[in-house]
Amino acid sequence: MTNHWIDLANSDCILAMGSNPVKNHPISFKWMMKAVDRGATLISVDPRYTRTSAKAHLYAPLRSGSDIAFLGGMIRYILENNLYFEEYVREYTNAPFLINPDFQLTAENDGIFSGFIGTKTDEGYVDGKYDKTSWSYQKDANGAVLKDPTLKNKNCVFQLLKKHYSRYTPEVVSQVTGTPLDKLMPVYEAYSKTGRPDKSGTVMYAMGWTQHTVGTQNIRAMCIIQLLLGNMGMAGGGVNALRGESNVQGSTDHGLLYHILPGYLKTPKASQQNYADYVTASTPVSSDPMSANWWQNYPKYSASLLREFFGPEVPLADAYTLLPKMEDADNYSWLMIFDKLYQNKISGLLAWGQNPACSGANANKTRQAMTNLDWLVNVNLFDNETGSFWKGPGMDPEKIKTEVFMLPCAVSFEKEGSLSNSGRWMQWRYKASEPPGDARSDADIMSDLFCQIRKLYQKKGGAFPDPILKLKWNYGPEEDNGRLRHIDPHRVAKEINGYFLEDKIIGGKQYNKGTLVPSFLLLQDDGSTSSGNWLYCNSYTEEGNMAARRNKSDPSRIGLYSGWAWSWPLNRRIIYNRASVDKNGKPWAPEKPVIEWHLNVWRGDVPDGPWPPLSKGEKSRHPFIMLPEGLGKIFGPGLADGPFPEHYEPLESPLEKNPLSPQFVNPALKRYDRGGDGDQMNLRASFNPKFPFVCTTYRLGEHWQTGVMTRWTPWLAELEPAMFVEIGEVLAKELGISNGETVIVESARGALEAVAIVTIRWEPFTVMGKTIHQVGVPWHYGWATTAERNYHAKDKKPEIFTFGDTSNLLTPNIGDANTMIPESKCFMVNVKKKA
Amino acid sequence: MDNMAIYIDISKCTACRSCQVACKNWNQLKAEQTQNRGSHENPPDLSVQTWNRIRWIENHKNGKISWTFFSDRCRHCDPPDCKYIADTFVEGAVIKDSSGAVLFTEKIKDIDPDEILSACPYNIPRFDEATRMFFKCSFCSDRIPYGLPPACVKACSTGALNFGEKAKMLQLARDRIKQLANDAVLYPGEEYNTFWVLPDKGLLQSI
Repeated sequence: MTNHWIDLANSDCILAMGSNPVKNHPISFKWMMKAVDRGATLISVDPRYTRTSAKAHLYAPLRSGSDIAFLGGMIRYILENNLYFEEYVREYTNAPFLINPDFQLTAENDGIFSGFIGTKTDEGYVDGKYDKTSWSYQKDANGAVLKDPTLKNKNCVFQLLKKHYSRYTPEVVSQVTGTPLDKLMPVYEAYSKTGRPDKSGTVMYAMGWTQHTVGTQNIRAMCIIQLLLGNMGMAGGGVNALRGESNVQGSTDHGLLYHILPGYLKTPKASQQNYADYVTASTPVSSDPMSANWWQNYPKYSASLLREFFGPEVPLADAYTLLPKMEDADNYSWLMIFDKLYQNKISGLLAWGQNPACSGANANKTRQAMTNLDWLVNVNLFDNETGSFWKGPGMDPEKIKTEVFMLPCAVSFEKEGSLSNSGRWMQWRYKASEPPGDARSDADIMSDLFCQIRKLYQKKGGAFPDPILKLKWNYGPEEDNGRLRHIDPHRVAKEINGYFLEDKIIGGKQYNKGTLVPSFLLLQDDGSTSSGNWLYCNSYTEEGNMAARRNKSDPSRIGLYSGWAWSWPLNRRIIYNRASVDKNGKPWAPEKPVIEWHLNVWRGDVPDGPWPPLSKGEKSRHPFIMLPEGLGKIFGPGLADGPFPEHYEPLESPLEKNPLSPQFVNPALKRYDRGGDGDQMNLRASFNPKFPFVCTTYRLGEHWQTGVMTRWTPWLAELEPAMFVEIGEVLAKELGISNGETVIVESARGALEAVAIVTIRWEPFTVMGKTIHQVGVPWHYGWATTAERNYHAKDKKPEIFTFGDTSNLLTPNIGDANTMIPESKCFMVNVKKKA
Repeated sequence: MDNMAIYIDISKCTACRSCQVACKNWNQLKAEQTQNRGSHENPPDLSVQTWNRIRWIENHKNGKISWTFFSDRCRHCDPPDCKYIADTFVEGAVIKDSSGAVLFTEKIKDIDPDEILSACPYNIPRFDEATRMFFKCSFCSDRIPYGLPPACVKACSTGALNFGEKAKMLQLARDRIKQLANDAVLYPGEEYNTFWVLPDKGLLQSI
């Protein structure tokens, strides 16, 4: 989230799209209601009428996979009706920037942007990537970007945007999305009203936007809307991702994903063999003196991270050589890992706090892939479909060689530490009870594993022992053998914050060796400071553990609660907040000011940098400090699949053609289904009469993730005991399916038994003149807790049985062009009566 | 803690069912082996093990869908019909305590269960053959003396469930009815220690 949960209460219009917060983020509704009590409009856009829809003022249905058409239409509506916040767009975004005249929009280039490298087949362009040379700004001889503040130049971003979305008329959008015009237009009207300077609108999105082959572009489309309406940086504004786990924000911040190190630093590539090359490639340069270009500090953060990993004895350049490097062209995301496993190129797997046999798209492939493993370590609270994959449906244990180890671990309440919520709040929590039996905290398991591996390297050497042998491991009290007695979460939190490694005088102030660094402004690129994550530097200082603060006062009156816990960065509660004020530092919305320039200082939230407001000239800085431009990107050349979002059909679509483009699907996808006829594990069925219905997946409030925790909790299992498929009344009648009947849902990749819930809440769509039916399935189930499976003598039986297996048996293993998140929110199925 | 009330504003209920689980948790009621019967509603009925249950009401009126959620439970009538009937057989089998709770005592075992079942206009109490006892919402009368709200109220995150002095709760309900305007009504009425605000009087047919 750019903002935070409580801030929802400040909004004038809340758009819940690609999410169902009332059900899946129930506490958020408390703050949404406060906004509604103040007069805010609540909008729900969803393929089916959800519990959020039930509470919304406006509900608009849309066919899964057509969000960009819907949002593109809103962009057009805002531009055509001059509803954008002109001063904000002109001063705070790249709308006036002139773009390379060689750049071509999709409409003038066969459905793709200029620079495409790939092949054209009978289904359009495939397997491609873009050469982004033409996706660039025009610059003068000194490297300064050419701009047209009148926004009239035909090559300026604003005019290109207008041209690109001119095709997205309400009529066309309605045809593509299936949203009736009388439901579409009120949404555009209501949301566009937040373009008034003193109004703000916010979006709450979740996996309903990300799990698409155009997932990143869905969010980009909304970013463009928020910039046009001047909603970024504002109280009650922003772009707000609702995280699906209590600490998904924290784990992402700390480098869970393969392409980033902690603090969103970049994972080194094989071509960057020395530290200087890596730093140069990672540090952006700006020729604009008014751009803070915050990432120019990259070398300070990377040096401090290397210090935290390897300590002060290893010179930075040497420490860098110890980091793993990625092959330049390779990708190490989930789908790729399981594809490699399927191809027998990986022999061991640590499945840690997860359940891939149920959680991964195309579960049949995932489960089959696991049979290639020599060993599998399952670290979890309970045995699950992953640890027991070898005795799952269709498996013959006699033929499976995998040795499985189960390591029971502690649940969150059985260990101390911090969680970072969607709103970037790092909140400390305490241990409520000891873990049962042999269960231990993940950190302790990991520490023992590390110490054991280090011992082996010490004894036996190996190909490249230094990364292990030189790693600093000082996170708890040490025993004589070098093993840690246990991990101390406070030591970890302090290491994440970082230390001065030498006595240092900065800005005339003395900082002593061994003290905690008070803020990332003081991190150094010379190796004199350490920090496990620069974004969290300031969270645990000599003044104490900021995350443990529990001050309930709110002098801000907009719900910042700045003395409660701690928020990255630097306890800033609303990021990009310099965009919430005009050039003189006066809030656009005086009733809900985030920051304000008052008597030559900023007051309110922690501002995005200390510089004075823009009217002070060169001493000031543009508001979007993390971007080299300093300005919000309406033209976003950073993405793999286009600087403007374009509607492409999902990989599996009910349509034969893309109504908006000659190009059918996103051309920049990594495709698995093009391997040839012999490949039975990567099947795709688009516009195929065997699979006529669009299907989507969603969560239940009663279950969590793959249900490993909740299916074993009797009070929750009794509430939602079975895999179901929600079917509209019209379709159910056509298929002769009655409510409560067990049916088969089938995709090109697998089949699933489910109980039919026949409902008025799912109405058919009219798309391009054709009736399209959509159905939906939850994802939390798995065979391990069913009554029908074989229970061996030692197998624990659940107190309450559930019915059905994971919906990932149906989902496609195709990922977004930027993130590789699977397209689990939109694929084609058939629904039939159980024979 | 005299004459207290639970006030339920169903316009704020999202059917998160925290109240349903909190009830089972505090009262240590067993989970039931349920089936999905084509609905999200479960367990299928109030029972010896289920004293509070959310009912899901789907409606389609004038091209508009609505979806409301009703927490079904003892109304703690004032005066209670069940007590009136029970008193004619055994004094003290049903009591109305000072907090407003309607409670069944051991003496109820001496009364023909059908008499109690037919006495309740809302079909709430459930009879347990094994113990010969009746079970239903207890108003968490084991929490109230300690200044604790009923478990369901404590668990509610949206403000749908409220607990306090009856006069205050009635005032909140009246204010909410004014705020919701049009068709909002108080259900079942004022002579109860548990009452609801329904945003649409049309819902009366579904309850």
